[in-house]
Amino acid sequence: MNRTAIDSVDSAADSAVVSLDGVSQRFVTDSGDVVHALAETDLTIPQGQFVCVVGPSGCGKTTLLKIIAGFLEPTGGTARYRGQDITEPGAERGVVFQQPNLFPWFSVRENVALGMRMRKVGKKERSQKAQEYLDLVGLGDFGEAKPYELSGGMQQRAQIARVLANETDVILMDEPFGALDAITRARLQADLLSIQRKQHRTVFFITHDVDEAVFLGDRVLVMSARPGRVVLDQEVTLSSQAGRVLGEEMRRLPEFIELRERVAGAIEH
Amino acid sequence: MLEQMAELVDPLYLPGPQAVLGAFIDANRCLVVDENSGRTVCGVQNYYLWEHLIASLQRIGVGVALAAVLGIALGALMSMWEPANTAFAPFLNFLRALPPLGYIGLIIVWVGIGDTSKYLLLFLAAFPPIVIATIDGVRGVREDYLSAARSMGASSPQMARFVVLPAATASIFSGVRLAVGFAWTTVVAAELNNGIPGIGGLAYISGTQLNTALTIACIIVIGLVALALDGAIRWVGDRLVPWHGKV
Ligand SMILES: Nc1ncnc2c1ncn2[C@@H]1O[C@H](COP(=O)(O)OP(=O)(O)OP(=O)(O)O)[C@@H](O)[C@H]1O
Ligand SMILES: [Mg+2]
Repeated sequence: MNRTAIDSVDSAADSAVVSLDGVSQRFVTDSGDVVHALAETDLTIPQGQFVCVVGPSGCGKTTLLKIIAGFLEPTGGTARYRGQDITEPGAERGVVFQQPNLFPWFSVRENVALGMRMRKVGKKERSQKAQEYLDLVGLGDFGEAKPYELSGGMQQRAQIARVLANETDVILMDEPFGALDAITRARLQADLLSIQRKQHRTVFFITHDVDEAVFLGDRVLVMSARPGRVVLDQEVTLSSQAGRVLGEEMRRLPEFIELRERVAGAIEH
Repeated sequence: MLEQMAELVDPLYLPGPQAVLGAFIDANRCLVVDENSGRTVCGVQNYYLWEHLIASLQRIGVGVALAAVLGIALGALMSMWEPANTAFAPFLNFLRALPPLGYIGLIIVWVGIGDTSKYLLLFLAAFPPIVIATIDGVRGVREDYLSAARSMGASSPQMARFVVLPAATASIFSGVRLAVGFAWTTVVAAELNNGIPGIGGLAYISGTQLNTALTIACIIVIGLVALALDGAIRWVGDRLVPWHGKV
């Protein structure tokens, strides 16, 4: 396609998967205090972008995710998904929760296949696809197990498989790798990236880990607390180079280190 | 004279284990009461004790089953639709506070002295705990389960089937357990009038006839069977909700 510069600006706005327009959030606590969890925030996430959000605990990362997921109606501004106001959760916005929450009355495989079951996908097909994604997260042998028979990290991986198998347009992830060991974490990071690249998914990924954010993100948002707001919106240019493929080596690139320091510096403030 | 009375009074108030066991055995077999004519009497009040027990169990079964079906339905409605809750909650709490003995007379006047009055009384005793447990169960479903299902695209019926019902099962089951317990405590009241066959009726009548050994035998049977039944319900519950206490 041959587009003029102005056309491509327009199409960028059109192709925004998620757009927040002055979105803010206040909570009234049980004791009656008002918590300003999120200051007015503008954010546009185009199709296929991997957005990482870092910031100290309590700065409003989960709040932001819940608004995009449709679990929380913002007290100010509007959140849109592909131009439509977000009023409720939807199958096109899958969520990996901070705490594992697989359904204990289903086996791990049934959990992963549940979204397909809800869409009336045939039994054989959904079980096959569920197995595919269980294999991907290294749980190929645990399809018949019950969630409470898995370790915390395994449950978290199963939760990731559940969302990936649902083939959602947007994947919202709330510190999904927080409970994993370094090796599993590195493997899942690589797998997530390759799926995201291959299927051109849009990812909104919360993490505490600056290194992880810079490694995964096309773009890193740094948030600060009270009220929660975005203090740095950093594009990660490394990713557009084939740098990702380098994996671990990428972390030693001078550009990577410099970016990581810039992001870390923004968190300090 | 005094000695005789002491002998007479003592076992009447508290018959010994042997007398109770004897009453239990006699109530389960046929006895020749008249050597000359060879007339025999089987059980007590024309039924063996186990037949009395079966009759009561059957009444409890019908009452609790009815209470479970309607109670779970009403509980689900009340937990998901606030107007229903506002409308029914006061009646339920009112009903819950009433002693069954207090209104059995009224029920007999309304529906007659037959089995219907007994089913109704047992139903009324079993109904409130099941409704309340269902409401608790549905309202207590973890918020993040609901969120997860909704962001997987669940419709309302799918939500009920795949998430709310399974999540509420443990609570509903403990409601049924409580209900069966209440039904047992109500069974004597239900069988006060025209309650033969029925183990509650037998316990009551044998008491009025000063056959205290049989009364105590009935009470022990009721207690043991109630215990066994509770164990069975718990066993089923543990199998239906194996994750209970693990998540
Ligand atoms: N339901 C609520 N009621 C009252 N206050 C809330 C509620 N949810 C969140 N908050 C407050 O909003 C702020 C942001 O919370 P949020 O969960 O978004 O933080 P977070 O950045 O995800 O933190 P963490 O990294 O620890 O998960 C916190 O100060 C929290 O106390
Ligand atoms: Mg959080």
